[in-house]
Amino acid sequence: MVNLLIGFFMQLIVTAISKAYASVQAVKQVSFQIDSGEIFALLGPNGAGKSSIIRMLVGMTKPDSGSIMISYQDQQFDHVPRRLLGYLPEDRGLYPDKSIEKNLLYLAQLHGLSKSVALQEMDYWLGEFELLERRHDELKQLSKGNQQKVQLIAAVLHKPALVILDEPFSGLDPINQEKVVLFLQQLKQRGMTVILSAHQMAMVEKLADHMLLMAQGQVVLAGTLQQIQQQGQGPREMKVGFNSAVSLEQLQQLPALLLAQPLQANHYMLTLVNDVGVSECLKQLLALAELTQVEMQTADLHQLYLAAMTKHNLQVTV
Amino acid sequence: MISRQSLIVARWEFLRFFKWKQQLVSYLMMLAVVAAISLWGFFNDETKKQYNIAVPANFSIENTKLFQFQRPSIDLNTQLEQMKSDQSWQAVVTEQEGEISLYTLTGKKWLQQLEKVLQQHYRQQAALNIGLSAEQLATLEQPKVIAMRYLDQAYKGKDTPEKMIAMGTLILLLVGLSTAFGQVLMSITGEKQQRVTEQLYAIVTPQQWMDGKVLGHSFSAMKAMLTSALVMLIGLAVVSLFSSKPVDLSWLNVGVILWLIPFALAGVLLCASFMGAIAASIDDPNNSGKSAVMLLTWLPMVFTFMVIDSPSGLGMTLLSFIPFTSFAAMPVKMAMMTVPWWQPVLSLALLVATVYWMRRVAGRVFLRGMQMYGKEPSWADIVRWALSNKTE
Repeated sequence: MVNLLIGFFMQLIVTAISKAYASVQAVKQVSFQIDSGEIFALLGPNGAGKSSIIRMLVGMTKPDSGSIMISYQDQQFDHVPRRLLGYLPEDRGLYPDKSIEKNLLYLAQLHGLSKSVALQEMDYWLGEFELLERRHDELKQLSKGNQQKVQLIAAVLHKPALVILDEPFSGLDPINQEKVVLFLQQLKQRGMTVILSAHQMAMVEKLADHMLLMAQGQVVLAGTLQQIQQQGQGPREMKVGFNSAVSLEQLQQLPALLLAQPLQANHYMLTLVNDVGVSECLKQLLALAELTQVEMQTADLHQLYLAAMTKHNLQVTV
Repeated sequence: MISRQSLIVARWEFLRFFKWKQQLVSYLMMLAVVAAISLWGFFNDETKKQYNIAVPANFSIENTKLFQFQRPSIDLNTQLEQMKSDQSWQAVVTEQEGEISLYTLTGKKWLQQLEKVLQQHYRQQAALNIGLSAEQLATLEQPKVIAMRYLDQAYKGKDTPEKMIAMGTLILLLVGLSTAFGQVLMSITGEKQQRVTEQLYAIVTPQQWMDGKVLGHSFSAMKAMLTSALVMLIGLAVVSLFSSKPVDLSWLNVGVILWLIPFALAGVLLCASFMGAIAASIDDPNNSGKSAVMLLTWLPMVFTFMVIDSPSGLGMTLLSFIPFTSFAAMPVKMAMMTVPWWQPVLSLALLVATVYWMRRVAGRVFLRGMQMYGKEPSWADIVRWALSNKTE
């Protein structure tokens, strides 16, 4: 019987880490904290510094400055011990000429699992990913998506306290991306702490408890989605409806509006000029006609990210 | 100490290249070829037949077990026609104006024997002409035996059975290291290209990983050496079986072999560690010239072959103590000479210490190389890492 729940205390505190490679400052003064059972997302485009942070967490490189502290049960470490770690690297692969079972068994045994326990865990996860029937197939016979699933299983087979997944969605079609979302939710249910990096913000915003949005090695936004929305300087948009005809030209002449887009008869999507309050904008709109609908639109993570980038005077390199 | 993880890696690496069915088939094929060659020789032994040779009428040569000399009274052309048509004889010898000719249908192995018999005959004729008796001629032709007496009591002699073991070991070391060369290169650079290394790094330390690789491929090399030795012995037995000679294994000196094993084992470990360090610094084997450096591991055997006939010389003395060559040179020296007990002990101790150091170097090179993310380290980087003391 597979043990589905793991109860333990774990906390990871990263304080002001920086890392430079030759002349490139990959990570600048990044801090964050992760608690047991959380899903924590590192977000940002390629080159934002996500993988550099992950490699420091895994111990492949050391920060030039700053510290990484992990508390596990009643122990403290200044690095993440391998026995607590499950890792899916960005550069990933397994042995293509070996079967799924042989690949997973080898890695599980290296993690210290006995063969019987490893097989039991393997059965569970292969079942979850609908790969049970293909366990004796060589890895090279699988599709890229299925190979990625085997990699994900390899990262969690030994029930690690901390799972670090570098770009788990990359190279997957939307259906398989959804499967990975379900997989991550399962890890959370089993009590594992998950750190993942991604640039698919829409996918992550509904999944992560906390996130760190990065650009050019710096943190541009951090916190829960709600906190990020509160602190974010995303474009403020509102959907409005008028009880009589108001033309697009009339709206474009209002100093409070940056943009107006017609939706249906007498209904518009309006983007407010920065620094103009909602009340001031409403005052200008009411001068044109009576309003039948006013609906403030919440900026999504991507919009918040772009706005934060502008605020920090950073360029997005995609 | 070797960790449990290293042993798991070693087992994986050993079994990864252990295709027992293919190997069994190739060994059986090798034995079948040896058996076929022996059988061919057995059933086509030309020295077991008798050949008729036509010679001039005045030719006073005596018949031998192999050759029956006939003196036909027909002319040369008719003799040759007859040889072609009904094989009345297999060769025709003529003498014209002092020139001797041997006619035959085509080249055959037994013709060498015939040539010897004819040469002997003509020497005897020449001896008679100058008044020498057959006994005097035999005395002249008998080579003088010179007994070699070495004042160096430690030298066992030039062609002792032990030298055969030493030479055999050098050949087996070459076999083992060739196996290790291919496997270490494929295994380490292959894992880099298949992008497994970063995943493994999160599970085992670079040193555990490298130890496992070195052990696994050293086992493979030892297995290749052992199976090659067995195949050689079985081949010898097969050849002996068909040549009606009993198998002679008296040259297998257990005392020498017992010393060979630790030297060979440590030598293979040292070379596998060196190869591991070089392979770990290669990012793309198709575009790197570093793999050729791994062939340096063959030099100890080459150097030892070069000084094998001078086992007490300075060259062999140096080679037998320098750890990078001692695994090949010291067993050969021991096979050729009686050496004081402390010499192999000191040589082995130095070798074991070097193996320990080299495996650490390999672990460091692997770690540092991986941290360069696709950029291949320079030789200066490798030397700096080798001399540093950091493993993590």
